Amino acid sequence: MKQTLMGNDAIAWGLIHANVDMVSGYPGTPSSEILSGVQKIKKMLSLPIYAEWGANEKVGFEVAYAGAIAGKRACATMKQVGLNVASDALMSAAYIGNLGSMLLVSADDPGFYSSQTEQDSRVFAKFARIPVLDPSTPQDAYDFTKLGVELSEKFQIPVMLRPVMRVCHAREIIEMDETTEFKPNEGKFVRDVPRWGAVPRDGRFVQGVQQLERIETIAKYNWEHFLKPQFEACQGGELLIITSGTGYGFTQETLKDLGLEADVVKIIMPYPLPAKEIQACFDAYKKVLVVEEPYPCIEEQIAHPKVYGKNTNTVHKIDEMKKEEILKALQKIEFYKGENIYEAPKIDLGFSVPARPPALCPGCPHRDIYYAIMKVFKRKKSVYPSDIGCYTLGIAQGAIDSLLCMGASVAMASGYALADPTKDVVATIGDGTFFHSGIPPLLNAIYQGHRFVLVILDNSTIAMTGRQVTPSRVHRPIDIKKIVEGMGIECMEHHYSCQMHENVDFFKKVKEKYEANTSGPTVVVVREFCILDAERAPDFVPNIYVKVDEDLCVACDQCTTVYKCPPMSYNEKGKIEIDPFLCAGCAGCLEVVCPTDAFIVDENYLKKGM
Amino acid sequence: MKYQIVIAGFGGQGVVFLVKVLAICAGNRDIAFLGTENHGMSQRGGAVSCDIKIGDFTNPVIDKNQADVIIGLDSNESLRNIAFLKTGGTMVVNAKPDYPSLPFTVARADANAKALQGAFPIQGLNVYMLGVALAGVKDFPFSVEEVEKAIAQMNPKVAQQNIKILQMAMNDCK
Repeated sequence: MKQTLMGNDAIAWGLIHANVDMVSGYPGTPSSEILSGVQKIKKMLSLPIYAEWGANEKVGFEVAYAGAIAGKRACATMKQVGLNVASDALMSAAYIGNLGSMLLVSADDPGFYSSQTEQDSRVFAKFARIPVLDPSTPQDAYDFTKLGVELSEKFQIPVMLRPVMRVCHAREIIEMDETTEFKPNEGKFVRDVPRWGAVPRDGRFVQGVQQLERIETIAKYNWEHFLKPQFEACQGGELLIITSGTGYGFTQETLKDLGLEADVVKIIMPYPLPAKEIQACFDAYKKVLVVEEPYPCIEEQIAHPKVYGKNTNTVHKIDEMKKEEILKALQKIEFYKGENIYEAPKIDLGFSVPARPPALCPGCPHRDIYYAIMKVFKRKKSVYPSDIGCYTLGIAQGAIDSLLCMGASVAMASGYALADPTKDVVATIGDGTFFHSGIPPLLNAIYQGHRFVLVILDNSTIAMTGRQVTPSRVHRPIDIKKIVEGMGIECMEHHYSCQMHENVDFFKKVKEKYEANTSGPTVVVVREFCILDAERAPDFVPNIYVKVDEDLCVACDQCTTVYKCPPMSYNEKGKIEIDPFLCAGCAGCLEVVCPTDAFIVDENYLKKGM
Repeated sequence: MKYQIVIAGFGGQGVVFLVKVLAICAGNRDIAFLGTENHGMSQRGGAVSCDIKIGDFTNPVIDKNQADVIIGLDSNESLRNIAFLKTGGTMVVNAKPDYPSLPFTVARADANAKALQGAFPIQGLNVYMLGVALAGVKDFPFSVEEVEKAIAQMNPKVAQQNIKILQMAMNDCK
């Protein structure tokens, strides 16, 4: 059956058609739509599948992995930095293995579009000594998902599927199974303590030896099934190109665009590679070029004097794949001597196009809360550690001083408070991130008496990755305030107000409390909403639209530098203007934000959705 | 057929909707295509651009100097992506009359002004600009009928209104 699908949806269908009946994970761009896709199919076809978000990636992996030990076909989905969180579980699971099937989907983000690192999950698979599959297109993503599930069951080891953003978020017509005849698996835990409970040193040593043997067996399988047929079809000649994932599609197009011919081998499983068998094929060529992203994973496994790639400075080492980069690599190895056809002619517009830096959505309560925090805890005397989520975009307002990784704001607040007691440390974290990894560091700060302010911004959703639900909202609601109180301290509570003075007044109270606290953190939960949350936002947004009284506007930059709402910009008269198409009607700027009160209600506002 | 289109705008303008419509057009005619989205971290108001490559392609990204058409839902976003337009390509853009002169064919319409006058709700801006593309791009790969059919398949509920906006745009361009 032919169907137009995004890569992540193709993976979701692949899981269903491989009879995977336990899926867990944690949202993260570009992986998020995989699990939500499974949830949609489950609902549509009423399938008996467990498909739920875990509290974090490690939890998600462990839930799925236990299912795989008990004979289920399981999958855990996450983004590449999420794998860092799940890595503790993965490293051990790679020794122990599984009876059913365990597919780990770790989606990479070459080019850092929405991630703090460009790390390569294939290298992580190599580190953990588990096989990894690297799809080039949504069609591959569907096929390799099914293949990965089968291989995991065959070799009794977790298998990784590593799609990159250009696969996850690519769209094409794919060919998939005609019908869905879903057969759930029987879960049956079989006691085998030496295997499931192997303890160091003897137990794990044995599993370590087995791991090495297994990876060699899989490398042989890789050769026989995926590589040998391709190498046998090769012609030999000046150049052999070895690629994997998106590198394959970019290479094929570049060769076609440039009118060049070379043998191209597509590596389906970049680890484990049968290096000797592959290197023996190099005799038929003058040079070998490796095209892959983002790290030299294949290149390092097949290193050879004829091999060119990132480590020889032939192919770019950072940022995502482009045909232009392959063209340049072909020029460097003197395989292509023509011009750069991907170079755009310079066009002088006579001005530079204004940047459109990432910003919080118009109407987002985070903006107002950051504004209120900075009104009370002044920049000069404060340190503002923050965390990963939509609210990271508060950095444009000057409301954030440091970012590290999920949940780090809390422990870093401890560290800053210890290192520089002359400053007021005010940390911000979202509700999703607090549930994910903010609780242990808060516990740490409480029992060690670290003095800072922690503001938990609770919009009851994981907004940035597409508004997945948080533990406060599904099944049995969990309240952040009670978690904090359960650790033995008070949790101040505030409901976001579109009247700015109420937010400012609240943080004045927070400051009093913080100054009275000689030890331990002052914790605050601010109840908010996400402006894009169709279920909750309408209850909160007042639909009061705003315009500017140009006589009052003195062009002081306050709104464009500290408040930073996207609809606000200067017009040709040098006065602030509100873009009526962007204003969300939140009324947040009517108070406090403008020193001359130039923002006024626009009674005649062109109502949206007429 | 080999045809490459970049659709540029900012979050909330419905850039992805247009990609889906064009994808359905290709699918209905059983032509292969590959599409992808580029955006930063913003959900609303941040720069967004989408690539769609119709025909025999093996990767979804459009390189510089390759696009046959850019559909710019916003003036600045169209200019930000200008390096992707190939020599001889067409720029379809929602911009005021002071839009700079470019060494390309330009099909310009001030859709914001139209919407402000109440001609159509602002949510229809993307469909309006697709109409401008149908009217202004000589070798556009799909016919009006094909686009209308795809719009109806996308969302039957608002299909009638969207088709009205599409036709309004084409009439305005006459």
